[in-house]
Amino acid sequence: MKRVAAVAVNTFRETIRDRILGVIILFALAMIVASLWLASISLGQEDRMIKDFGLVAISLFGLIVAVFVAASLVRKEVEKRTVFIIFSKPVSRAEFIWGKFLGLAATMFTVLAGMTVFLFVLAWIVARSPSGSLLVAGLLIYLELLVVMAMTMLFSTMTSAILASVWGICVYAAGQLSHNVLSLSKLGHSGIAHAMSLAVFYLVPNLSAVDIRAAVVGEGAVSWTSLAAWSVYLLAYLVVALVVATLIFRRKEF
Amino acid sequence: MRLLRRVVVVVLVALCVGVVIGYQSDRPAAATPDPVVFVPSPGFYKNFSPAVRATLADVYWLYTIQYYGEHLNSDHRLDSLPAMVRLVTALSPHFTEAYFFGAFAMIDVGRPDVAYALLQEGFKANPDDWRFPFYLGFFAYTYAKGQQKDQVAAQWYADAARLPGAPPFVSRLAAELATKGSSKQTAIDLWTQVFGQGDKYAQQKAVTALDQLLPKDKVAREKAVAALKGSVSPAMFDQLVAELFQGYR
Amino acid sequence: MPAAVSVVGRAFGERNVTITDDRHPGVRVLEVRDLHKTVAVGFRRRKVDILNGVDLEVDEGDVFGLLGPNGAGKTTTLKVVLGLMRPTSGSVTLGVHGLAELGYLPENPYFYDYLTGSEFLRFCARLFSLDAGQRDQRVTAILADVGLERAAAVQLRKYSKGMLQRIGIAQALINEPRFVLLDEPMTGLDPIGRVEVREIIQRLHERGTTVLFNSHILADVAALCTRIAIMRAGRVVWQGAVDEALSKSPGGDLESFFMDVVKS
Repeated sequence: MKRVAAVAVNTFRETIRDRILGVIILFALAMIVASLWLASISLGQEDRMIKDFGLVAISLFGLIVAVFVAASLVRKEVEKRTVFIIFSKPVSRAEFIWGKFLGLAATMFTVLAGMTVFLFVLAWIVARSPSGSLLVAGLLIYLELLVVMAMTMLFSTMTSAILASVWGICVYAAGQLSHNVLSLSKLGHSGIAHAMSLAVFYLVPNLSAVDIRAAVVGEGAVSWTSLAAWSVYLLAYLVVALVVATLIFRRKEF
Repeated sequence: MRLLRRVVVVVLVALCVGVVIGYQSDRPAAATPDPVVFVPSPGFYKNFSPAVRATLADVYWLYTIQYYGEHLNSDHRLDSLPAMVRLVTALSPHFTEAYFFGAFAMIDVGRPDVAYALLQEGFKANPDDWRFPFYLGFFAYTYAKGQQKDQVAAQWYADAARLPGAPPFVSRLAAELATKGSSKQTAIDLWTQVFGQGDKYAQQKAVTALDQLLPKDKVAREKAVAALKGSVSPAMFDQLVAELFQGYR
Repeated sequence: MPAAVSVVGRAFGERNVTITDDRHPGVRVLEVRDLHKTVAVGFRRRKVDILNGVDLEVDEGDVFGLLGPNGAGKTTTLKVVLGLMRPTSGSVTLGVHGLAELGYLPENPYFYDYLTGSEFLRFCARLFSLDAGQRDQRVTAILADVGLERAAAVQLRKYSKGMLQRIGIAQALINEPRFVLLDEPMTGLDPIGRVEVREIIQRLHERGTTVLFNSHILADVAALCTRIAIMRAGRVVWQGAVDEALSKSPGGDLESFFMDVVKS
């Protein structure tokens, strides 16, 4: 556990100081402010616009950070051979993967929390009342991105950083369309198509089960139980992904 | 030799900058926007998740406003606006403001029949929203022609009064219409309520109409406006006073 | 003792390596027997034999030089010993208490750009499960040892090549290892840097630490090593004491002995 913590702290320090992160965050904040402008031309719907577009901006930039940092995390260590330094010490492959993931999760939390609070304050000013659901939405975006990061790290143990990031983005997109896959599986005539769709439905993380963004702008309510169930599902999913990543990483030679 | 090279570079860069600016400044003068634009049918998006549909509704909402702005002052035709309103509300059923905006917009281009139809569709989709019969009554009274309009309007207001959330003045208006029928005072009362209930856009319309209906003389106007005091909230009343007496001091 | 094996087993994942825990002075620290390593290279997975039966013996207290032309398999041998690679066949027996008593400096090391020198060393110390007090002590001591006290708070991306090499040695020694493996420790260093590294190796030897290093610079090998092994094409073609090599050398120096062995 101590070694996992050591790797995690190390990863957090290294990623949070990377200047690229700062640039991406600046862009995200700029986009959020831009949504203010969009809101101003929305003829009285500023409240709804700023929340909706603000959350979209946070999701998008969060995704970019998640995918590109997660993909390079393991890859960079292998390519730059810092793994030699690490694995010549009594650290297991599992401790390494988990430590890296936890460090990245901490970085991601910092980034998302910053952006969400910024949006929260902005929306408060515009709507003249605080919207707690924005903070919940931010937390859920964080959980979604944790899953995407775990999958991206898994891909990065198998392939190059660029390919891993592309697949990570695909997982996110597919996850958003998860409920479509389910309805697709019911349409198929052949048993094979049905089985394949079902397989995809279970393999791809379901990132659309709870529509928090729709709830934030007033299109339907979300119950706490469904939120809790979805959170547990996401956490379980990422544990499985990381275990698979560890197994693959164990077989690797440097 | 070096000087010549420098001059050439400067001239080249200046030329390029000129082309960039010149091309862009030419743009607005180009095509006049087509009043008929492609609006995808809501069915196209039915498989997307609600979160995505809600964001799409917002995007199309902005698109609708842009369309409105573009055409109102040019060819004064909003042929595709009803379709846009229908798309926005199909994507985001709780976005009822789109209906009200659409209705007023169609009035702006002289199509009260379309406005009325839009509101009726909106009411069908939101049968518990008192604002729909409220606006239907208002539109019937203000823009319809014929003997029956007062009665039709009164009926709408009565319907509105029965729905949950309807403020007390609505039933008063229904009564007023049923008994007194057409009068300038009724019109003033109705527009005042529109100001009290509507968003910024509806309020703009209300101020314009009230400005026409109320006496121009300052003292008479003050008297007429004072009579409206109880029918809207104090904050709204102060705002209304400010709007109606702009340029009077 | 089971504890030794389990620590190493966890760190290595799967490997057919036996670890024993005999710590008698003067005894084998490393024994490599008939080590083979084959890899599949390229798109068509062509099999390439990198190690063709390596035999090595390193005793406690040795300063052991591993020599050979490029591609002889020196770095691969080190990697298999450390568990970074799995052997295809053969055995590696380490007479130390697992990785906790090993130190390793890879060739052309790269470190984390945005960490400072002391943050990096503290991280390495934590990987050895040293407690906080011990950690700080060790980090301060080792920074002084390698002469980087003043650069401790500077980010590693600003370090010169020589400084990076020194921080590399520092991380290899952070746990006061009994056995240190250095892969080309003198690469890219200026003459002053090379002298400093020589002194560090000398001091390690005086303290009784076993050192094994790969090098191309035969002058350093001749000056520092007690025993050497010469590798060629994936096997050890000569192993013995430096004095023995020098006495057998046609020119009386290590270069000519090396060329002789490698060319034959």
